[in-house]
Amino acid sequence: MTQPHPDTQWPRWEIFKQDNEKRPYQGVGSVHAGDPDHALLTARNVFVRRPAAVSLWAVREDDILNATPEEVGTHPEVLDTPGEADTYHVGIKKTHKRSMTFVDLVESVEATGPGDALRQAREQHADALAWLVFPDSAIARTDDDPGTVESWFAPAKEKTYKQQQYYGVIGKHVGELKREGRMPRRATEEPHAGDHKVYDHPHDASPAELKTHEVQKPEVQK
Amino acid sequence: MTQPNSHIAPNETAAQHAAFEARIERGEKIEAGDWMPAEYRRQLIRMISQHAHSEVVGMLPEGEWIASAPTLKRKTILMAKVQDEAGHGQYLYHAAETLGATREGMIDALLTRRAKYSSIFNYPTTSWADVGMIGWLVDGAAIKNQTMLAGASYGPYSRAMVRICSEETFHHKQGKEMIVAYAVGTPAQREMAQDALNRWWWPALMMLGPHDADSPNTGIMSKWGVKLKTNDEVRQEFINEHAPELLEAGLTIPDPDLHQDEQGNWKHGPIDWTEFWAVIKGERGLGAERLATRQAAHDDGAWVREALQAYTDRQRAVAAD
Amino acid sequence: MTAPAMTLSDVQQAALIRKLTALADDEIILAQRGGEWTGHAPILEEDIALANIAQDELGHAGLYLELRRALDGSDADALAFTRSADEFTSARFVELPKGDWAFTMLRQYLYDAYEALWLDAARKSVYEPLAEVANKAFREERFHLQHTALWVERLALGTPESMKRTQDALNALWPYVGQLWQPVEGEGGLIEAGLLPDLNAVKTRWEGLIVPHLTVQCGLILPPGGAEQPGRDTHTEDLAPLLDEMQRVYRAHPDTPYW
Repeated sequence: MTQPHPDTQWPRWEIFKQDNEKRPYQGVGSVHAGDPDHALLTARNVFVRRPAAVSLWAVREDDILNATPEEVGTHPEVLDTPGEADTYHVGIKKTHKRSMTFVDLVESVEATGPGDALRQAREQHADALAWLVFPDSAIARTDDDPGTVESWFAPAKEKTYKQQQYYGVIGKHVGELKREGRMPRRATEEPHAGDHKVYDHPHDASPAELKTHEVQKPEVQK
Repeated sequence: MTQPNSHIAPNETAAQHAAFEARIERGEKIEAGDWMPAEYRRQLIRMISQHAHSEVVGMLPEGEWIASAPTLKRKTILMAKVQDEAGHGQYLYHAAETLGATREGMIDALLTRRAKYSSIFNYPTTSWADVGMIGWLVDGAAIKNQTMLAGASYGPYSRAMVRICSEETFHHKQGKEMIVAYAVGTPAQREMAQDALNRWWWPALMMLGPHDADSPNTGIMSKWGVKLKTNDEVRQEFINEHAPELLEAGLTIPDPDLHQDEQGNWKHGPIDWTEFWAVIKGERGLGAERLATRQAAHDDGAWVREALQAYTDRQRAVAAD
Repeated sequence: MTAPAMTLSDVQQAALIRKLTALADDEIILAQRGGEWTGHAPILEEDIALANIAQDELGHAGLYLELRRALDGSDADALAFTRSADEFTSARFVELPKGDWAFTMLRQYLYDAYEALWLDAARKSVYEPLAEVANKAFREERFHLQHTALWVERLALGTPESMKRTQDALNALWPYVGQLWQPVEGEGGLIEAGLLPDLNAVKTRWEGLIVPHLTVQCGLILPPGGAEQPGRDTHTEDLAPLLDEMQRVYRAHPDTPYW
């Protein structure tokens, strides 16, 4: 898997997405992209095909340090990872429950380097399942002016055809068309299992007919 | 059952394995930096990259119909669906990358046939209704598998699967909606839908993998919390959901032996695995064409990837000065 | 979509229908070309990006054709899938085969800049339904334009091969781009009445945007322009086969009430 070959798929950038102003940025995955601007545009296409987002951060994987409690236990030297002094953003993983996001970014700390930031994260969030830190200077951010937010993130809300709810209940659409008289009433072949007809065709009676039938019934009983 | 000891590498201890397995037993997710058996890593890279390749090659059979979709709406929906498949490949490559595999290496393995992908995508798409039937059956089968994998013990794989499942439901429903409408549509549409079912039913059953007795990789990956159900269990779930709905739609399932047993399970007749293996070996189907298409896209894109890399390197060099 | 906000004369209505159809035709054909990349792009991320652009363009076509439907009751799919090449009013610029990635990105860039600026101006249309559509579509075009401008720059300043391919693409596209500015019959009257943007003003802004980007920023050489442009009834020979493929399912099954 690691043999050298000439192809490049570009560097990898971790993407943090904020769903709305009240939510934390969350680690959603990564993209392969050339430079910060390209990474952000790409992240928008990959992670905001559907709502919702108001902001994206992209950070090169080389600029990120993360560790689990087990890792710190077996490799304590990770807490001495050298680097630049900066404001570091701290992400933590809180639960083993099923989730599509990795860490929530919960705070920032002033640190002498990534190892120090990790040490602080570990002290303040001792029960976290994983810690992740990166310097503020490594972040590529989408602009937060209303024009950018509108142009990058609002249109996804209108792409309702990508939502399963758009397709409603199975057969509902057909029912509607039949009520409008635009659908033939029955399929050519009846369902069979072997020689045995297994199922009465549910579309034989249109909803409109059923309704009439139900209304007429009490009258007959009178 | 497989001998547990055979999965312990020379530099690993039984105690390490026991601790690892206890974590999985407790429902903990394994993260990239955690200790894991080399065999767990190897099997995961194999599974995840194979899954990613399936999404990427899976763009091709349906992608062919984007150009000829019969309404502007269907064209848009199909583009969104195939786009999602690219996205799903992207999420999965990411999951494998956390294990140390590189995108470059994985793509190379696909193109040089060292890695596999699902042979379902080697079947031709011969009519427009295939787009609907693939959505309903192939994506329906995939969702059953993916829902299981969303519970996998490896965190990044599980997260990719949760994200994929949330999007894949749209694929399933747009296909189902299409086929249900065509099944009561014009005679030509009904014929098209039935013909598509005739061709896709058995491949959809087979794509969930060989019978449990013939599935070499299931044992240890089930113990390690990745494969939480067997192929036959997932297949049964798939049939139980889809058989009654297909029949309700007024279509005929091409299996004279299909019946419900006393427990209410829909039981299929014998599967012709010779076809499955023939497609996998490339004796039937479009395997060679699919890989040639991917190879061409890869080759034609090489100068683009180089150009962006060169631009990036130059920008970074300037910034460093 | 609400009913037309203003009463149009017959002449105005006919011209507006022609304009809306021409706008939609460009979008449909360009989206068709964009769709050809799905599954074949240089990297997975760009498969996703281009499919995004193509979906948006198709969405815009739908918006324009919905405006037309409000005027004459016409069906968008019938228009898209039954007209022949002679009846289409797309510009040759969008019909040209997809070419390589440089050609695709450069064409999309020039088109996005044109569309974004036209839409920006159309937001002030006195015809409210159009202003509404323009507001909606403009947001997406703004994003496309950022993406394609970025690509053109990176290809033009990448490797010697990518520079050459980008210059070749510009040389090939430049003679055709002017047809985008060809007015439909009666467009002048609609511009005068404030329904449609002044094409000359939009074109001036467009040139002000793209020329410095292509030349100063990207180091490309602008080919000599100014060739006389034919009207929108003149097509490339690429359009007919494109439509054959696009319309084949629809045409094979006439009188199908629902797809």
